[in-house]
Amino acid sequence: MTASVRITLRPLGAAFEVPRGSPLQEVLFPYGVEFPCGGRARCKGCRVRVLEGTLPVTAEQERILSPGELDAGWRLACHCRAEEDLTLELAQWEAAILSDESPFAFTPRSGLGIAIDVGTTTLVAQLLDLRTADVLAVATALNAQARHGADVMSRVGFAVNEKKQELLTALIRTQTGAMIGELLRKGKADPASLTDVVLVGNTVMHHLFCGIDCTPLSRYPFEPVRDGMEPFRAEDLGWSAGGSIRFLPCLGGFVGSDILAGILAVNLHRSDVPLCLIDLGTNGEIVIGSRGGLLCCSTAAGPAFEGARISMGMRAATGAIAEVEPGPGGGLACRTLGDVAPRGICGSGLVDAAAVLLRLGRITPGGRFTGREPSIMIADPVALTQTDIRELQLAKGAIAAGVRILLGKSGLAEGDIARVYLAGAFGNYVNTASAKTIGLVNFPPDRIVPSGNTALRGAKRALFDEPGAYDELASGVRHIALDSDGDFQDVYVEEMRFPTETGDR
Amino acid sequence: MPVIQTLYDAILNGNAKAAKEITQTSLASGVNPQALVDDTMIPAMNEVGRRYEANEYFVPELLIAARAMKASLELIRPLLSARGSEPVGRVVIGTVQGDLHDIGKNLVGAMLEGAGFEVIDLGVDVSPEKFINAAKEKHATLVALSALLTTTMHSMKGVVEKLNESGMRPGVKVMIGGAPVTQKYADEIGADGYSSNANAAVALARRLVAA
Repeated sequence: MTASVRITLRPLGAAFEVPRGSPLQEVLFPYGVEFPCGGRARCKGCRVRVLEGTLPVTAEQERILSPGELDAGWRLACHCRAEEDLTLELAQWEAAILSDESPFAFTPRSGLGIAIDVGTTTLVAQLLDLRTADVLAVATALNAQARHGADVMSRVGFAVNEKKQELLTALIRTQTGAMIGELLRKGKADPASLTDVVLVGNTVMHHLFCGIDCTPLSRYPFEPVRDGMEPFRAEDLGWSAGGSIRFLPCLGGFVGSDILAGILAVNLHRSDVPLCLIDLGTNGEIVIGSRGGLLCCSTAAGPAFEGARISMGMRAATGAIAEVEPGPGGGLACRTLGDVAPRGICGSGLVDAAAVLLRLGRITPGGRFTGREPSIMIADPVALTQTDIRELQLAKGAIAAGVRILLGKSGLAEGDIARVYLAGAFGNYVNTASAKTIGLVNFPPDRIVPSGNTALRGAKRALFDEPGAYDELASGVRHIALDSDGDFQDVYVEEMRFPTETGDR
Repeated sequence: MPVIQTLYDAILNGNAKAAKEITQTSLASGVNPQALVDDTMIPAMNEVGRRYEANEYFVPELLIAARAMKASLELIRPLLSARGSEPVGRVVIGTVQGDLHDIGKNLVGAMLEGAGFEVIDLGVDVSPEKFINAAKEKHATLVALSALLTTTMHSMKGVVEKLNESGMRPGVKVMIGGAPVTQKYADEIGADGYSSNANAAVALARRLVAA
């Protein structure tokens, strides 16, 4: 027996060796895992899921974790030792995955349905009783493809350049199939009663799930060959159950059925007044319009709002600074998720921080630090650098420019838009006044409606309709390719600046 | 000749209108156009580059400064070529096939112009053939390639290969840049240089044409 064992952490991707028998609490703490109850098996905060290897179940763990959780491989890290090589999934990264519990109108039907939001980073699935629309079970996971690229273009690059499309397709089909099994178990449901599965996702997720060649998405003009509704049977996918399975149609370019579902969720297509939907995930998508017509676009806002490319950025999980306000004596006051010591900053915290620093005159409307310091301390040890602000400017500029281009094409002004739905985890938690201050959204804050996971909500609605019910709606939404839009570059560069009313240069 | 401070400031502040007017007045009063470039415009763009490097300037400031510089250069260029002045070097620049991103490419182009290079901008979605033909026709000494996507950067390899086949290397140097591009990738495909930003691209171009 060797003296050390190898540990791999998902989704961090970190891998390292530790002496055999090391307590996981000591091993995982340096990787940012918090132990909310101090390692006394009083909470589930530190739980990890065993993906490879084994961790024995102890009496303490049986008291806290349900038999279903133990079966699924969940263990309390505070009560485990590393006796062999292990691959572990960290639960604390689950916090950022946004589910949906809001009610909606539906026509009851018999059977069970499952709606799945296939995100670039996260997957969320819900099992519904189609007679009542009650949610019987929820399953979430990090997209298993994510280790092969964080954003859609690197995923396409992996599929096309490395010729690994089949691998990505197999990964997502297997993972969603396992989630369906998990939902049926959790909901104590008979697999035979599952009549409908609806999946939504952006165009790249659509292609990778459906097994459609991604090559056309890798280069200009980025026009998919086939991006309509794709029906499947469970046996096509290697699933054990499913009934009528369909991946809903894309809207054009990279804008997929997650945004179609968003339109359904907020009834954009039935509105008499112009509305706007902005979905801020790993990609940013925008829809503007009413029953008279809808325009959409996607922007390469990048995952800055999920904490990527920010020096101390992180997802909205335990230890993330999520809110920042002016504090006493010109300082800053912060709220950290999980009420623990801060260890990073998430998207909503970043937007708040920039808004406060603009108001305090510590950054100029051009984005430059006014002081000589290389970084600004937000809450020890979390600081923002000049480059972090530049990343924020690029991301918020892309969104604001996309909105302006769509407004221009619709012949509308900001004031004409009755409501702006901000969807996605970040959109749900961001402070709307701060978003306005930094010019991420240039609408009055009282018209901005944080809307949660509209993709999942729309997918659930679609469970109650015929598989082809949305083909017409999807083909009627006009897609604007910002890349080839003549005005985009100028507008983008203008929108990289922060609004000037907040202070002088 | 001393720096014309008003023109220097107009470029630094991105005031294209002022830059154009000052250039017109200076030329009308008999200022040597080459001296205007060497003693005012190049130092101004160097300062723009320095501020960008120091994170004081960002893309918007850099672009408006470049716009002001170009407004001035448009008046000067015909006079320079009439006098038979040779540029520091001739650069064919473009975003590679399949890619439409041009902000980074435009910045590099503007900085090179500001440094006294003649820049032939082929735009975006440029095929390898187009790069080769333009380099041949314009007697370019440098080809600069940009790509922003991991999926399109591999077109760079095709351009380098075609240049090799054409027999124009090593007389024509190749420099590459863009978010997914690295020095390692440049070495891999046999490019002569890589730059991570517009300012460093100028220094690299100077080094390559001097080599």
